[in-house]
Amino acid sequence: MATYLEFIQQNEERDGVRFSWNVWPSSRLEATRMVVPLACLLTPLKERPDLPPVQYEPVLCSRPTCKAVLNPLCQVDYRAKLWACNFCFQRNQFPPAYGGISEVNQPAELMPQFSTIEYVIQEDDLQALKESLQMSLSLLPPDALVGLITFGRMVQVHELSCEGISKSYVFRGTKDLTAKQIQDMLGLTKPAMPMQQARPAQPQEHPFASSRFLQPVHKIDMNLTDLLGELQRDPWPVTQGKRPLRSTGVALSIAVGLLEGTFPNTGARIMLFTGGPPTQGPGMVVGDELKIPIRSWHDIEKDNARFMKKATKHYEMLANRTAANGHCIDIYACALDQTGLLEMKCCANLTGGYMVMGDSFNTSLFKQTFQRIFTKDFNGDFRMAFGATLDVKTSRELKIAGAIGPCVSLNVKGPCVSENELGVGGTSQWKICGLDPTSTLGIYFEVVNQHNTPIPQGGRGAIQFVTHYQHSSTQRRIRVTTIARNWADVQSQLRHIEAAFDQEAAAVLMARLGVFRAESEEGPDVLRWLDRQLIRLCQKFGQYNKEDPTSFRLSDSFSLYPQFMFHLRRSPFLQVFNNSPDESSYYRHHFARQDLTQSLIMIQPILYSYSFHGPPEPVLLDSSSILADRILLMDTFFQIVIYLGETIAQWRKAGYQDMPEYENFKHLLQAPLDDAQEILQARFPMPRYINTEHGGSQARFLLSKVNPSQTHNNLYAWGQETGAPILTDDVSLQVFMDHLKKLAVSSAC
Amino acid sequence: MAELYVKPGNKERGWNDPPQFSYGLQTQAGGPRRSLLTKRVAAPQDGSPRETSPGPPPMGPPPPSSKAPRSPPVGSGPASGVEPTSFPVESEAVMEDVLRPLEQALEDCRGHTRKQVCDDISRRLALLQEQWAGGKLSIPVKKRMALLVQELSSHRWDAADDIHRSLMVDHVTEVSQWMVGVKRLIAEKRSLFSEEAANEEKSAATAEKNHTIPGFQQAS
Repeated sequence: MATYLEFIQQNEERDGVRFSWNVWPSSRLEATRMVVPLACLLTPLKERPDLPPVQYEPVLCSRPTCKAVLNPLCQVDYRAKLWACNFCFQRNQFPPAYGGISEVNQPAELMPQFSTIEYVIQEDDLQALKESLQMSLSLLPPDALVGLITFGRMVQVHELSCEGISKSYVFRGTKDLTAKQIQDMLGLTKPAMPMQQARPAQPQEHPFASSRFLQPVHKIDMNLTDLLGELQRDPWPVTQGKRPLRSTGVALSIAVGLLEGTFPNTGARIMLFTGGPPTQGPGMVVGDELKIPIRSWHDIEKDNARFMKKATKHYEMLANRTAANGHCIDIYACALDQTGLLEMKCCANLTGGYMVMGDSFNTSLFKQTFQRIFTKDFNGDFRMAFGATLDVKTSRELKIAGAIGPCVSLNVKGPCVSENELGVGGTSQWKICGLDPTSTLGIYFEVVNQHNTPIPQGGRGAIQFVTHYQHSSTQRRIRVTTIARNWADVQSQLRHIEAAFDQEAAAVLMARLGVFRAESEEGPDVLRWLDRQLIRLCQKFGQYNKEDPTSFRLSDSFSLYPQFMFHLRRSPFLQVFNNSPDESSYYRHHFARQDLTQSLIMIQPILYSYSFHGPPEPVLLDSSSILADRILLMDTFFQIVIYLGETIAQWRKAGYQDMPEYENFKHLLQAPLDDAQEILQARFPMPRYINTEHGGSQARFLLSKVNPSQTHNNLYAWGQETGAPILTDDVSLQVFMDHLKKLAVSSAC
Repeated sequence: MAELYVKPGNKERGWNDPPQFSYGLQTQAGGPRRSLLTKRVAAPQDGSPRETSPGPPPMGPPPPSSKAPRSPPVGSGPASGVEPTSFPVESEAVMEDVLRPLEQALEDCRGHTRKQVCDDISRRLALLQEQWAGGKLSIPVKKRMALLVQELSSHRWDAADDIHRSLMVDHVTEVSQWMVGVKRLIAEKRSLFSEEAANEEKSAATAEKNHTIPGFQQAS
């Protein structure tokens, strides 16, 4: 700089600051003698069209009396990831997100030209959620009733009037209330009119105060669109090092109470949208100190999850009440960290509501999954149905042991009900408050015929399933299915029974039993149980010579079953330590309600191979299927992975697909993309999509499925202490099969 | 009519975010599907050692297409792609052609609809105009609004409703502030139309009863 004039001008342009003195007198006495005080003019919002705001929050000095912001004057130790505050000299640790910084890779706030810098507090997630909710108003039928509750530190129940002034009732987020208290406070305790089951409640037939909070879409859509558009982040400031206060437990309680008091026994959904864990009040899952992380599986194992039991109890009570009222609860949780799905899962699982888990509301995964809730069938009706009761009747040789799925027991005793429970037992009727055409229950039976009672020739057992439900058109319907199957004497007709075995259904039903057990038993015990059942099955139905494993054979109808069990043991449903408790809850939630085909995909992912050698073909889910000249498509239900073998990747890099004489290569590359698209277009929830190649970092998704992971070996190193026959938790399907055969043919078992 | 496209997911918020399908593609998904990928292969029973590939193949080029390399593709020139973007080039939708019929529809509804609702709709139409004139709306949005207005003018209420839904799903950020007004306008116009039709039937029925010449009794 030639003169100070330039210096002054540059600084004003960059920082919006002009000082009276640009070199400062170094003592107090001298400064007073300068006559003009040391002062500056500051324009804090000076226009800087060349300064885009950075999309993260400022890093502050940790000294509570300082809290200065990281700036170019700070000394930085890039190796130790420390910085020294230039105001108070405190040494501070960089937050984890700054792990990658170095002398050549500096964050903007450390560079001298960024002496002035602007930070943006992230709002795009809330904006994305608001837009999704506004969009959903267009997808709802016009006479559906809707209401809105928002929550943070407080809980607000919004009054939906058409008059232009928005009002709301505010509740403290710390105190739980009974249903009656909620109804009193909202002014809902006028005598209720008897509900008519056949039609949806028209507001004008029920002129009591509930209409203030629940209004039909066609009347309220414009106001509600505006109300949603005006929603802001909770105004209560969140200090650094703390989590925002989130009163999810009370908010949900109020929603349940509101619907309980206004529309019991009518189809309804409570949709909970949350961007983080409950941190306040009943149902809180973690405290507001950021440095205390939310519970992991290790914490739970060591009994170190202090909020878990109480929170789970709170949500279980709410879930049971909701199911009793015939309503369902959906949970849409989008955040980078856990949100408490472990504690809240019963809300979705007992009521038949949905659980959607994503990283952010601003992702296509959330937006499209949410849109698909409102999918219509070929008749133009919504696929969702409400208020189902399933009643099962059996002929007298059979009894009902229980059901596993998104249901609650109705506690209906009777001659069909077995004393031995599997799943949710002790009843012949269950309630499923929310369901759709893929909802599937596993129902378990017990044969009670005495061993030597002769069965009449050609005798058949029968089961009848009667499902009452409310169709989305509000019509009540009853679906009746009656089935019969032949009885057979096992001694003389084993081959017959063998041939009629459905190994796919069997695998899913056993898997549901295993996962059901895993909710209350220790992981290793469940694996031991699963192994024991598999060995016994092989002993019974395998063909072999005693003590000769090489002679072991299974007939075609059993050939895939051991493989299913092998992959089930390694699946996220039973191996929890690779995932967070929330992730495990999410996977188990979807597993417990999908139909057979989707459930099997979850147990043993599908792997298809694409090559020049012929049409796409299924291949073994094993590392031997990964070949250089193949493209693999793997579907785990939760992820779709496309993997290019090494040679294919090299050809793509060389651009052969753009040359007309290699058009077949272009088709080859496109084929798995088209098949993936078909799956992506229809599946609920939307899966994640990974397109990778040999050597790519995301190839690990494929590799971890075809090869056993290292961790589960160590953690489940339960051994031979019990003396029970145990399958080795070993490296490959081949070794697993060898061990299984050894145990099956051994007379020691 | 509805656009069929796929765009990539939000890579900033999720590196494995799946692609986003347009409303048109999603509603079409209920149609007949190719056979799903659901087959599996049994593990070999006799424990024979797995064939290992004999090392990486030599890196030559891929096998060439069996088609003669020089034969031109059947049909017209460059548009051999898969995307249905081969619509004839249209002139961009004109704002007046969209707003005038909407405002007219609103006027028609004034007698039949509450004042507050009309004011609300009017406010949103003004917002639509402001955004259109200010160049804030993308071409697909303008195009679909033109189609919506056509359907509305031809009394095809369901089609108009479907277009409004497709705009809300595919372009919510651009349209959410005013689209709900258009949605309400379609609903009000539909109910007004069916009311008028019902009245006409009633008066025609009374006319017949009175044995008068039908033509003279028609209200204009």
